Amino acid sequence: MPSWLDFQPFIASGLALGGVYALSGVGTVVLYQATGVVYLAFGAVGAMGALIAWSLTNAGVVGWLAWLVCVLFSGAVTLGYGMLFGPPLARRDPLVKAVATLGLTLVLFGLMDLLWTTSGGQSRAITLPTDNGGFTFGEIQVTWTQVIGLGAGVAIVVVTSVFLRYTKLGTAMRAMANDREITATLGVPVRRVEAAAWLGCGVIAGVSGLLLADLVALDATTLTFLVISSLAAALIARLRSITLTFVAAIVIGLLHDLLTPIQSLSNYRDMTPFVLAAVALLVFSRRRVFSASREEV
Amino acid sequence: MLDLASRTAPDGQPPMLRRPGTPALIRAGVIAVLFLFVLLALPQLLSLYYIDAMTQVAVYSVVALGLGVLVGRVGLVSLGQAAVLAVGAWVAARLLFATTQPYPLVLLEAGVITMVAGTLIGLPALRMRGLYLALITLMLAGGITVVLATTNFPNGGHGFLGYDGSTVHIPAIRRPSIAASDPAYFRYSVLVAALMFLLVFAHIRTRPGRAWAAIRQSEPAALAAGINTTLYKLWAFALASFVTGVAGGVLAGAVHYLYSIGFPTQDSITLLAVVLMGGAYSMWGAIVAALLLQLLPALLNNWGVSADWLTILFGIGVLQVLTTAPAGLADQVPKDLARLGGLVAGRLRRPAPSGDGSP
Repeated sequence: MPSWLDFQPFIASGLALGGVYALSGVGTVVLYQATGVVYLAFGAVGAMGALIAWSLTNAGVVGWLAWLVCVLFSGAVTLGYGMLFGPPLARRDPLVKAVATLGLTLVLFGLMDLLWTTSGGQSRAITLPTDNGGFTFGEIQVTWTQVIGLGAGVAIVVVTSVFLRYTKLGTAMRAMANDREITATLGVPVRRVEAAAWLGCGVIAGVSGLLLADLVALDATTLTFLVISSLAAALIARLRSITLTFVAAIVIGLLHDLLTPIQSLSNYRDMTPFVLAAVALLVFSRRRVFSASREEV
Repeated sequence: MLDLASRTAPDGQPPMLRRPGTPALIRAGVIAVLFLFVLLALPQLLSLYYIDAMTQVAVYSVVALGLGVLVGRVGLVSLGQAAVLAVGAWVAARLLFATTQPYPLVLLEAGVITMVAGTLIGLPALRMRGLYLALITLMLAGGITVVLATTNFPNGGHGFLGYDGSTVHIPAIRRPSIAASDPAYFRYSVLVAALMFLLVFAHIRTRPGRAWAAIRQSEPAALAAGINTTLYKLWAFALASFVTGVAGGVLAGAVHYLYSIGFPTQDSITLLAVVLMGGAYSMWGAIVAALLLQLLPALLNNWGVSADWLTILFGIGVLQVLTTAPAGLADQVPKDLARLGGLVAGRLRRPAPSGDGSP
């Protein structure tokens, strides 16, 4: 069994990873609540945004501009998808809506493979200026990027909660989560509210794509399927509670990184989100209820 | 439940009642002629490159068939079928290295072991429905990919895993002695695939098929009608995993060497995409799906076009199927052809307005 010293460096990285998972998880939950879509292309748009940012930086564009382009790209693609395919699928089963986003995932995935070939073997990396600076907390070395990762997770939870609770748009989103038809009858411009949710989710996808590209790896496949990890956090929260998503994401991130020094489990640590989500789903869904309402899952 | 046809096709008819006018005898005859052509003539006509591709088509048509049963018949979406195929291939490879059993027996065992594993995966299906089932199977697929990346496929080593990282000369996974050459193995896999299609056909045409249809329409109604929905859903998972496991066994012999890098998570997604494009409601759809998945890349590779274009095409295809053509290509193309034929015939015979040309 490794000693406490071996675990120390992984606490900071685990918390940072958990923070970014929380960021993506909350984005997924809010979009699902507002539109009923589980956005499985979340990782793919973020990955493509990060790759575009990488290409721009390599071409000599200033860092902040490249990152802005990344976030704007994710937002634009997500908003475009929502506007194009949201309305025709609005009245369909949540499952159909989720599978449709897999279509977008495949399109983006193919494009990424085509434009940024991996066969050459050259590895890409995004380095944020915050990687170098940092401080020591106790005996743990912490970089500013890790602080940003965890901070982004905390910030998204606070901001989203306040936004949903106190703003007009947030109230409209909560109303749509309850019942889209009644909300529309009450005079809420549902299409516009949905558009706002899509754009917000896309921007969050861009930000978490950048952060994950820095913290984990800039690789199309890795980033596209990291969405599964944040999805696990959202699933543990039953796609409902933002706070629970945050807690689950932190636990997943921490556990994932803390398993690294344990030899026998190290290779299997990528399974953490799947195992946790599977167990949580099995425990939570013990009750079988049939109902004809649209809220059934 | 994945009810693809719910909104876009108000005239969507149950798949089993399609083309009621066609005499069953003629259809059976056409299928028999096609089957004999594929079995006897095709290996003579094709180069080795395309024979290999067609062997893959035979394997993946069975995989697509299994997923088609889940998606099209019962309405359960599994995003982990490629991982189930990997499990089947792993089990078969392990058995082939460990024993000298005859090949059909190994295929059967691989199918049964995969069936047990797949049914265990299916157990959550009893509690979860629709969206949650799809997401949990996606996670399981990711999990199996992680495990396979660590354990690797058997390469003739010892122990339970049968993997020896230090082996320099890796022995090939053996084929049945009657089908050692590529054309012979192609015929072998077509025969196995045909048996699997017959097995599924027998299920669809009898009691389980009717129960699945009832469950797909409405689970509460099926329950009220006295159908043991738990049993039949589990049965569907068992059947799909069995045929996928057998397909994995055929795949192991076809490629000779298996690597975990050959079973990435995105394969499960691509698989669902082609099954939806091919048509989940029809058994022809499974063949169309396999052609899309295996023959098209071989063709494109031959023409020097990147296979990434296919991924993009599949993505667009999924969106198109879900928004406009819920029954997939296997349903859409004959309908469109019939409509076109009706249009042409109408123009030729009389200037009357052309009918809708429904078959």
